[in-house]
Amino acid sequence: MTVTAASDLPAEPAQRETSHRAHVLRRLFRDKIAFGAAIVLASVALAAIFAPWIAPHDPYLTDLSKVMQPPSEQHWFGTDNTGRDILSRIIFGARNTLMMGLCGVLIGGLLGGTLGILAAFYRRADGYIMRVVDIMLAFPAILIGLAVAAIFGAGLTAVLIALVVSDIPGVARVARGSAMGVMGQEFMEAGRAVGVSDFTLIWRYLTLNCISTIFVYLTLRFGQTILIGSALGFLGMGAQPPTAELGMMAAQGRDFLFMAPHIATIPSLAIFVIVLAANLLGDALRDVLDPRLQT
Amino acid sequence: MGRQIAHRLLISIPALVGVLFLCFCLMQVVPSDPAMIIAGPDAKKETVDAIRKDLGLDRPIPIQFFDYIVRVAQGDLGRSIISNKKVIEELSQTVGPTVELMLGAMLLAVPIGMALGTLAAVNRGSIVDRIIMAFSVAGVSMPVFFIGLILIQYVGFKWALLPFTGREGPVWAGGLPSLILPAVTLGAVLIGPISRLTRTAVLEVLGADFVRTARAKGLRETAVIVHHALRNALIPVVTLIGLQAAFLLGGAVVTETMFAWPGVGRLAVGAIVSSDFPTAQGAIMILAMAFLLINLIVDVLYVFLDPRVQRG
Repeated sequence: MTVTAASDLPAEPAQRETSHRAHVLRRLFRDKIAFGAAIVLASVALAAIFAPWIAPHDPYLTDLSKVMQPPSEQHWFGTDNTGRDILSRIIFGARNTLMMGLCGVLIGGLLGGTLGILAAFYRRADGYIMRVVDIMLAFPAILIGLAVAAIFGAGLTAVLIALVVSDIPGVARVARGSAMGVMGQEFMEAGRAVGVSDFTLIWRYLTLNCISTIFVYLTLRFGQTILIGSALGFLGMGAQPPTAELGMMAAQGRDFLFMAPHIATIPSLAIFVIVLAANLLGDALRDVLDPRLQT
Repeated sequence: MGRQIAHRLLISIPALVGVLFLCFCLMQVVPSDPAMIIAGPDAKKETVDAIRKDLGLDRPIPIQFFDYIVRVAQGDLGRSIISNKKVIEELSQTVGPTVELMLGAMLLAVPIGMALGTLAAVNRGSIVDRIIMAFSVAGVSMPVFFIGLILIQYVGFKWALLPFTGREGPVWAGGLPSLILPAVTLGAVLIGPISRLTRTAVLEVLGADFVRTARAKGLRETAVIVHHALRNALIPVVTLIGLQAAFLLGGAVVTETMFAWPGVGRLAVGAIVSSDFPTAQGAIMILAMAFLLINLIVDVLYVFLDPRVQRG
């Protein structure tokens, strides 16, 4: 595993939460690269959220008199093979791509985190849960995507399922490692001794103490998840035309690469920028919050 | 050592069954009833039932799954709906090119990645280190198809230096030029993670006692790094290559599709797009098994590289 499990995670007292958070943010933004990455990511996210108001043109409006135009004043990123404005399509495409990555990481994180924490808490279930996780780990994400698309048909749902399934095992392992460390702490024993219910033990004692590790891991996964999702989009397993999704847009532009290279390269570049920003921010966050996760 | 390898083999069995089950499910969800297709649209119900019985489709799912495993073991993966060729034959033609592509990418990425990582570690904190690390983060964030698109556009099309569609035959039969661009595309993605991990591993080893001893007995710095540090840093790097196998496989699917490389990945994508379920199922199975095999090989290599694993 590139990610070593945190086995000696100290329990953070909850009352220091706010000052701790401010401290983390201050340290994070002293790092200029992380700051820049955060700004890039935030602007892309804002543009994606407010896409209908920000996009200069209708992303689906074809104009056959303006086919494959290179970037110009009117169309900053040019137009595609049916005369649609690429900038507007990128903004709408980023919406789908980000959404895909976010849902993949969040749902995968929720399921994987639950599995990992339950495995650490109920030792008897540990073997079974982790064996299932190991089997899931045996499937490369792209392959899951291909299989899901073959079974249910291509579409954003197929990609999402593949992303969730591919995120679960990693999160489960990290969560289990982190939770195992917390399980060894005295306050767990104390909680049990005074008769705290399993649910409260798991949620308030265990999960809240593991959450920062899981969060950092998920930030690090976010970029990868987007890359996998856009690769599946590129292969035609994801969003179907005319829906805009960055990977799919790159694939469509491939057919016109020699006449109008910008149709394929601009969406690819957009993915690169988003993933790069996510990775840089994730790295910085890891250094501040959880240096043990270092590869 | 034999025990370790046997143990590792045993562990891969559940994963293998998982793969087979997934592929079996793929065959189950064929939207239309295979018996109906064979019988034709005007067939009587009795004929359809007879064919269904003949195909074993009336039996319980677990038995059908068992039959499926037996058939797979015999190399019978069904026939392609599109070309009507045996799936196993189509697969046997595509495995070679895929292996060739992956090996080409590894041959490129592993030495370059390790050299860059070592260089960064030895010059830790310097401008060289920073540049290499920036390069590696950029590499990790790059979609495979981006690199491919740029290579096709410039090296392939504008400068017309190398072919960029299809495969001109095996490497030993003049196919090398057509392999270069796909292999570079796939390899480029791997350089980033490999150099990053090599850097960490070398840094760790450089602080170890035996490196200090080697230096103290007056060995040249190159000898210290190559013989003592790098050799020990190999272990995490080999593990990483195993982990990157998933990456490599996924990348291969994209690369093959882009460069019209006649490999398993392209076959799988094409089959899914055209709803050719038997072929898709076979191709996915082969890819998954390849992945299991790579991990197995990595684990065995691990035992050879690190004698501590053997004893442990």
